[in-house]
Amino acid sequence: MTPTRSLFEVRGAGKAFNGVAAIENVGFAVQRGEFVAVLGPSGAGKTTLFRCLAGLTSMDSGAAILEGRDVASFRGRERRHIAVVFQQFNLVNRLSALQNVLAGRLGYVPAWRGWLRRFSRADVLLALQCLERVGLLPQAAQRADTLSGGQQQRVAIARALAQQPDLIIADEPVASLDPRIGAGILELLRSICHSGDDGIAVICSLHQPHFARQFADRVVGMAGGRIVVDSVATAFDERALQYVYGRDNDGPTAPANGIQTLALA
Amino acid sequence: MASADAAQAQLLFETRLRGTPRSRFKLVAILFCIVVFYVVCWRLAQVDPVKLVNGLPKLGHWLAQAWPPNVAELPLFGLRIAETVAMAAIGTTIATLLAIPMAVLASRNITPFPRLYYPARWFLNALRGIDSFVFALLFVAAVGLGPFAGVLGIALHTWGSAAKFFADHIENAQLGPLDAVRTTGAGRGTAIVFALLPDVLPVLLSTTLFWWEFNVRASTVLGVVGAGGIGLELKNSMDLLDFPRLFTIIALILVVVTVLDQISGWLRKRLV
Repeated sequence: MTPTRSLFEVRGAGKAFNGVAAIENVGFAVQRGEFVAVLGPSGAGKTTLFRCLAGLTSMDSGAAILEGRDVASFRGRERRHIAVVFQQFNLVNRLSALQNVLAGRLGYVPAWRGWLRRFSRADVLLALQCLERVGLLPQAAQRADTLSGGQQQRVAIARALAQQPDLIIADEPVASLDPRIGAGILELLRSICHSGDDGIAVICSLHQPHFARQFADRVVGMAGGRIVVDSVATAFDERALQYVYGRDNDGPTAPANGIQTLALA
Repeated sequence: MASADAAQAQLLFETRLRGTPRSRFKLVAILFCIVVFYVVCWRLAQVDPVKLVNGLPKLGHWLAQAWPPNVAELPLFGLRIAETVAMAAIGTTIATLLAIPMAVLASRNITPFPRLYYPARWFLNALRGIDSFVFALLFVAAVGLGPFAGVLGIALHTWGSAAKFFADHIENAQLGPLDAVRTTGAGRGTAIVFALLPDVLPVLLSTTLFWWEFNVRASTVLGVVGAGGIGLELKNSMDLLDFPRLFTIIALILVVVTVLDQISGWLRKRLV
């Protein structure tokens, strides 16, 4: 098998806050059209990792490489290559769903269009197509804060699509939603990922292992700021789960620490 | 039913309620300080109820002289009041426009120049600390008598107050949408205008209305230092002891201020 170059590669990523490492030597690669789920207990460093990958925080060491280019060197509109979906949706409350999606075009259009919120017909059409893709075309004119949580997250995904990115980073996109709505959101992300024509990759952190197995192609497990599991989703079994979350639910005598568990294995 | 631990805890709370000798001494000391403070203030402010009682008949006498009101000069008073409202409107608008970039600079979370954060805050505090009345006094000397000096006075003082208020509001705003819009590849300025302004704008407009209304009330006295408006006629009438004129002007001010109050209140309710 000849190794094809990955779309996105994280190498030796590290970040510390006040001398305490939040993530350490994190590395993995993502191919085009691949849905990677990141699992890990609270405090495992998922959010820090994602903020680093999205360019919202700088790394202390290591690099994230998108198609051969260091993400840290992305300036201004180059950031449009990586779209981010947040747990809290982060829509502009007083703007309509459509205008929120059009925010995804700000990395393409001249600044004055953003200031005046006047977009070209082609951009508006694209934004409406993105809303249609997430099933919210009828709500296009509705103010964002009048939409339900699931609908708001769909608008946020439409905004990410309007960016026409290579990669979507979703930081616990379903943590504030009920399981049924959350499954719908993940199904949408998976279909975007697998639709072939645009070949967008998705990196998505989750708290529910069964969602990861159900929707992702690959699962990366984090514990204590490090990657402890990296496997295809179908191979992510109970044993792998224990590497990530520890074995404390087995009984009171079991070691509670994921790293320790790995050492025992 | 009470366990020994609970009884112990109850005892502890009772002694705490009664207070130790030391905490009781502290209470007395604090009360003493408060009393001293008010005695000193009373002396410094030269409060003299006897003078008030002796002066009241004088006020009653003037009130009696004030009838019938002076309606002959109403057109002049109307013009002067319009001048006052206009001064407040222009001054407040200039202040708001200047306050927006200043508020961005003075907001810890979004300032493009963190080094300038404290200087910006100090500058705004200085503007806020000096009343528009004092600024008007200075500008009358600089640009001459008339409403323009009043406009400048209002603008400078309101600039400081408005920018500080906006900055505090921005510092408490949710920055999630700003982060989100930044990651789409938008520039910093575009992201602020797109993600922050829509949520801040209603508050911004409603406080601007509030300041306009406040400045109309404040600028009725600007005329006293020669900075135009109805205050000028007020002072003239008082100097001439022309009470019908004086009370007509005061009544007119009350009417205009009340009407503006209602209008701005209604508009603000619609905005938020």
